[in-house]
Amino acid sequence: MTPTDLARDLASRWPREVHERVDARRPLVEVTCPPARLVDVCRYLFVDRAFSFAGLVVEEAGDTFELRYLFHGSRGEPWAHVVVIVPANDPRVPTIVQPVHAADWHEREAEDLFGVIFDGHPRLGDFVLHDDAWQEGVAPMRHRFDARASVVERRPNTDWRPHRVVETPGAFVMPIGPVFAGQAESAHFDLETVGEDVIRALPRLFYKYRGIEKIAEGQPVDRVLLLAERFAATTAFAHGWAYSRAIEQIAGAVVPARAEALRVFIAELERFRHHVGAIHAICESTALVVAASQTAMLEEDLLRVSGALTGHRYLFGLVVPGGLTIDIADDACRAALARCEVVLRALNDVERLLQFSSSFLDRLEEVGIIAEADAREAGLVGPMARASGIARDLRKVLPYAGYDRMTFVVPTEREGDGYARLRVLFAEARQSVALMAQLATLPSGPHAVHVSPRAGAAVGVVEAPRGATFHWVRLEADGRVSRYRVVSPSFVNWLGFHLAVERFAFQDFPIILSTLDLSVAETDR
Amino acid sequence: MSAFGALLTAFVAVCGAGVVLALVLPSRHAARVVAWAGAIAAVVLVVMGATILVGAPAATRLWTLAPVGPLLVGHDALSGVFVLVTGLVLLPASIFTASSLPPLAARYSVRTYAVLFFALTVAIVWILIAADAFSFLVTWELMSVLSYLLVVFEDEVEAHRRAAYLMLAMSEAGFLAVLAGFVLLSAGTGSLAFDAMRGTSNLGAGVRATIFFLTFFGFGVKAGLVPVNVWLPRAYAAAPSAFVPVLAGITLSLGLYGIFRVNADLLPVSSIALGLLALVIGTLSALVGILYATPENDVKVVLAHSSIENAGIITAAMGAGFVFTASARPMLAAVAFLVALYHLVNHSFYKTLLFVGAGVIADRAGTRDLDWLGGLIRRMPWTAAAMLAGVLSIAGLPPFNGFVSEWLTLQTMLRAAELSSTGVKIIFALCGAGLALTAALAVTCFAKVFAMGFLGMTRSSEAEAASEPRASALAPMAMLAALCLLCGVLPTYVIGAIDRAVQPIVHASAAEALVPPFFVGQPGHDALPAAFAAEFHDLGANVGQGVAPGPGLVILHRGGTENPVVFAASPTDLAVMLALLLFVLFVIVRYGVARHRATVRRVCWDGGIRRLLPEMTYTATGFSNPVRVIFQAVYRPTSVEDTRETVARHFRTAIRRPGETVHVLDRLVLRPVRAVMFGIAGQLARIHHGRLNAYMAYALLLLLVLFGVFASL
Amino acid sequence: MSSWVIRGLRTGLRTTAYPRRPETAAGVSPGLPDDGVYSAETAAAIAARCPSGALAAQDGHLHVDERRCVHAYRCVRQTEEPAGWRSGYEWATAVGDGEPGSSFRRSIHLIVVDAGDCGACLHEVRQLNNPYYNMHRLGFFVTPTPRHADILLVVGPVTDHMRVALQKTYDAMPTPKRVVAVGTCALSGGVFGPSFVSARGVADVLPVDVEVPGQPPPPLAILHGLLVAVGRAAPAASREATR
Repeated sequence: MTPTDLARDLASRWPREVHERVDARRPLVEVTCPPARLVDVCRYLFVDRAFSFAGLVVEEAGDTFELRYLFHGSRGEPWAHVVVIVPANDPRVPTIVQPVHAADWHEREAEDLFGVIFDGHPRLGDFVLHDDAWQEGVAPMRHRFDARASVVERRPNTDWRPHRVVETPGAFVMPIGPVFAGQAESAHFDLETVGEDVIRALPRLFYKYRGIEKIAEGQPVDRVLLLAERFAATTAFAHGWAYSRAIEQIAGAVVPARAEALRVFIAELERFRHHVGAIHAICESTALVVAASQTAMLEEDLLRVSGALTGHRYLFGLVVPGGLTIDIADDACRAALARCEVVLRALNDVERLLQFSSSFLDRLEEVGIIAEADAREAGLVGPMARASGIARDLRKVLPYAGYDRMTFVVPTEREGDGYARLRVLFAEARQSVALMAQLATLPSGPHAVHVSPRAGAAVGVVEAPRGATFHWVRLEADGRVSRYRVVSPSFVNWLGFHLAVERFAFQDFPIILSTLDLSVAETDR
Repeated sequence: MSAFGALLTAFVAVCGAGVVLALVLPSRHAARVVAWAGAIAAVVLVVMGATILVGAPAATRLWTLAPVGPLLVGHDALSGVFVLVTGLVLLPASIFTASSLPPLAARYSVRTYAVLFFALTVAIVWILIAADAFSFLVTWELMSVLSYLLVVFEDEVEAHRRAAYLMLAMSEAGFLAVLAGFVLLSAGTGSLAFDAMRGTSNLGAGVRATIFFLTFFGFGVKAGLVPVNVWLPRAYAAAPSAFVPVLAGITLSLGLYGIFRVNADLLPVSSIALGLLALVIGTLSALVGILYATPENDVKVVLAHSSIENAGIITAAMGAGFVFTASARPMLAAVAFLVALYHLVNHSFYKTLLFVGAGVIADRAGTRDLDWLGGLIRRMPWTAAAMLAGVLSIAGLPPFNGFVSEWLTLQTMLRAAELSSTGVKIIFALCGAGLALTAALAVTCFAKVFAMGFLGMTRSSEAEAASEPRASALAPMAMLAALCLLCGVLPTYVIGAIDRAVQPIVHASAAEALVPPFFVGQPGHDALPAAFAAEFHDLGANVGQGVAPGPGLVILHRGGTENPVVFAASPTDLAVMLALLLFVLFVIVRYGVARHRATVRRVCWDGGIRRLLPEMTYTATGFSNPVRVIFQAVYRPTSVEDTRETVARHFRTAIRRPGETVHVLDRLVLRPVRAVMFGIAGQLARIHHGRLNAYMAYALLLLLVLFGVFASL
Repeated sequence: MSSWVIRGLRTGLRTTAYPRRPETAAGVSPGLPDDGVYSAETAAAIAARCPSGALAAQDGHLHVDERRCVHAYRCVRQTEEPAGWRSGYEWATAVGDGEPGSSFRRSIHLIVVDAGDCGACLHEVRQLNNPYYNMHRLGFFVTPTPRHADILLVVGPVTDHMRVALQKTYDAMPTPKRVVAVGTCALSGGVFGPSFVSARGVADVLPVDVEVPGQPPPPLAILHGLLVAVGRAAPAASREATR
């Protein structure tokens, strides 16, 4: 389906009410509609046409807010941006969480940071900015708010109480975090319980909110690249790449073939290393000591491979708009691949042993189940969605950097439990090494081109190790970033946490958490 | 007139004066009248009990009622023990009314309460000194009805009326059983006097068993034994704070007094099987009581269930005594009966203390629900200290009284090893295990009561406003806590006193077995083997010789010659050692450690959240949930499925976990019985159709039957 | 289960010899830019390329402030005149005048607080449990509660929301205690701070005893930092002193 077809389709459904603009190059249909029609249009795209929801971008333009709901179709289908414009002094739009549950946290964030009211949303407030630390009405993402000055006047809500839904007599909230017993990322969980088993778990995140979208504003492109790489460093390369792709799209730059191939090689190396780390975390949460040690060593092996290949264990300072900062010799790549294959063989051994460790399987099977329908409505991405039967992978759906010319499969499982997620991680790790092997002979040519930024906006898309990531960038004519919006896979997948954690034994909590593989840094930004 | 007569007259006079004053003085003074007159009456009772205990038994004819014969008042050491305990419990309970009655004055007549209260007091004492079946039964019935009226005193609440009505109905059923038992007993002797009943051996085994069943379960209703105790938790929860201490501390003991008086004194149990029945019923009562006490959150209901538990322990010990009596082991029987009575005394003290505390909590903190309490120790430290004493006592921890009697109970159970029958030994072993489990659960249960009530954060705003009660509530608690401590630290004295009551019944002295003359200079000390005395010297046998005269401060059970020492302990020594250790620890910390390092107080580590809120701490329900899960087979919760309410499909607004448990006895006993009763009533209702001629026919039919019966006589 | 035991035994010993002997495997450390002498304009040009202000040029002398280096590699990549680069990992410096004292002689318990870390520093701290580094052999253990902790190890620039938690953790620790700040963000705020929700590092909130630069510092650098904190390794020569 071409963008023109989609535009015509929408125009025929809501004549004179919605206005379409077609950009055949991207390809993209930009649909401007009145707030009253927003829910209908979004429902049509998300439910009837099975488009995926990529995120909500709020931009302040003069005395209006422009709300841009990003949808993308499957392979061969265009993007659809549904745009609603509301006055900044009375920003109210209807919520779309009823058809598009995936928009839940986007709307809550926009309400907290911009002050946009989403009529009909059941839970607004106390999200990014904690109500027991900040007063209502602070809208840090507004242009008038100074990002570099600390907020001196603080009137926190001293009556703050945890949100509770369990109404059984004697129920209480067991608070966990933000400082944990191990070396976990800072987050807070309220486990509602009457003792023994947990009836419901509610996360309270954004303890690590660093406001990168705000502090990026007004910064030059290369400065924002540092933020893109460093806000979630365990998958730094994928995020840096997504940001670079957005800039390249705005500038209309064509990245050389060698640079694209090297990017794929390194991205798959990062995915492999991340998945080994995630497998290690699962083994560790089930207290399977030997497996945890073995996988920990494999992860460190891959960190060293990354360090030896690129200079940095977490692949910092490598990707730039236009290519890579350094060229990597072919034989260095082949040496890295050889070491990765050794690691993969060891990983396969571990997998085989795990399949016969019944005490390990008992703790993963039928734990933290996410049903496919729920996963679809919540718009989950990455290995978590694929373990619930949703074979959505941006490398296939919106192919980039030559992924469409490479052979690989998207492993899926149906059960949606902890063990399914573990199996997906193992299978994807194998696919990543297979992809690296297909790049044994790299195309020759330059490793970067110069990119000169110009005014415009684009969304950069990459399938990060944890799932689809979308970086929306708007550049001013002087090459400075005026709006930067990051939709990270963990931010999306935390909705899956709500689906997975109801009624479980207390000791299963760390196991469920480890199989979900959610990064707090990636969510909090 | 004897000293006993004078004291009895004085007691009745004080009670009468109390009634008159309550009626004459303005009603705002009524509560104070109850407190003062009750306290004076209680002091008279204490003196009377002590007099009876040391004096010789006697019976006096009060006056002769033509058709039934002489009405007798009498006393022996057994009545003495009970009168003494009644006095000791009544004293604090009366004082407590000064602060627990005024809150009721707005809605109910305190004068009425006063009249009922004094009448009940007289009835209770009369039960204890009645020496013939007729006065015993009349005062018993009087006590039952007056208890009912006092339980239903706050009668504006529907639940109170229902609970009290159930209590009355079951008490009456129990009374009828007891009546039938006494009819059989007196039919065998032809006299209503207790003295005449004693030593009747001409009854057949079947009649004896029938009498045992009738009196055991008949009195068991008041004592709270399974399966006839379904009224008890409901009635205790319904009764006013002022009255529950009397209900738990005195009337429960009356039921046990009845069982003991009939089945140990008047007609000693001669069948091992009946003794075992008492043992098993006692153990089951203890288990059921504590199993339902532990998950309960209403302090009063926890205590009510725990009364069942304690009555069970006492009955189990008594049952052991019956078995030993029937097996012709008088020494062991004496020990078992003594232990039963010891525990009964202890239970009266600590349960009264805890119920007074529960009343104080309900009054000062606005709720009795442990889920909404917490942190009261900072607001009412003296109440907390007294309650801690009560909780330690009831949980059976030294140096308090519960430890001594529970330890002795378990030791007595182990004495079944001396019996010959293997089957009996197995039953004893199982019951011993059941009682041990009960003791363990009791610790859990009362750790919860104290921790959830007094420690941690306060979970409701009412409880945050709590403050220390008036002296009229603190003084009774202090008094009772002191009694609990005394009975725990000086058990050899209590054993000596109770032994006076047991000795004439089983014709063996338990004190002789349990408290050997260890102090130098005591009569019989020189007869002790020297090595034997030296060995237990270290156990604290000679500690406190100068302070506490008497045979010694060691409990020691002496078996036969081949097994001279079966068990031994010195709670006195234990208490002294505990105090010493605490003192040494204090000195070390204060002058050793703290001198070099500054003491820094930090708030509780909460994982770094901004503010730890009361709803983020464990509730009582959460604390006892493991017990609920482990014993699910007993509780049989009706529903475990959660119900969820959502808006917009994914947003949970409420998750409810409905679930109620029906008490195992309600399920197995009350409901079937009620169903049968309603069935019979339904059948009988058919002849109630309102036709006059039919009713006249019924009357005629009845007359004909009666004529037939009388004609045949 | 036995197959796991066999597998574990067959793996053999992998633990690094550090601190007895330096670790030489490739990829264990990203290295840091090095001080150097250049022509005046070259030094200035190199310094100007640094996005985080870690480089300062003075009369042709290039000074590196490791506390600010974010590993953007702009001083060495895509440029004709790269700065010098040094490998190694013994970067930790002791700040302040606090001596560890005798309480830190035996085994040491750490509490780790993530004060807004991007994941890399925390990940490298976790690698210390890895058989390759295995900090247990040196007597370092992670404790679940600050009540038992001797060393507070902080990563991240200290976000506004974590400020209270960090302070409470520090207050809950018994004295004597040491604070080790790990990573550029924890030392200078990195690319995030200071801002409306981020401080300029741990020193804004707590007294820091040992600083471990690097974004992220590799596990061996953190291990060196811990050894410095307990006085079992010499701190890196202070740059201020040599300047």
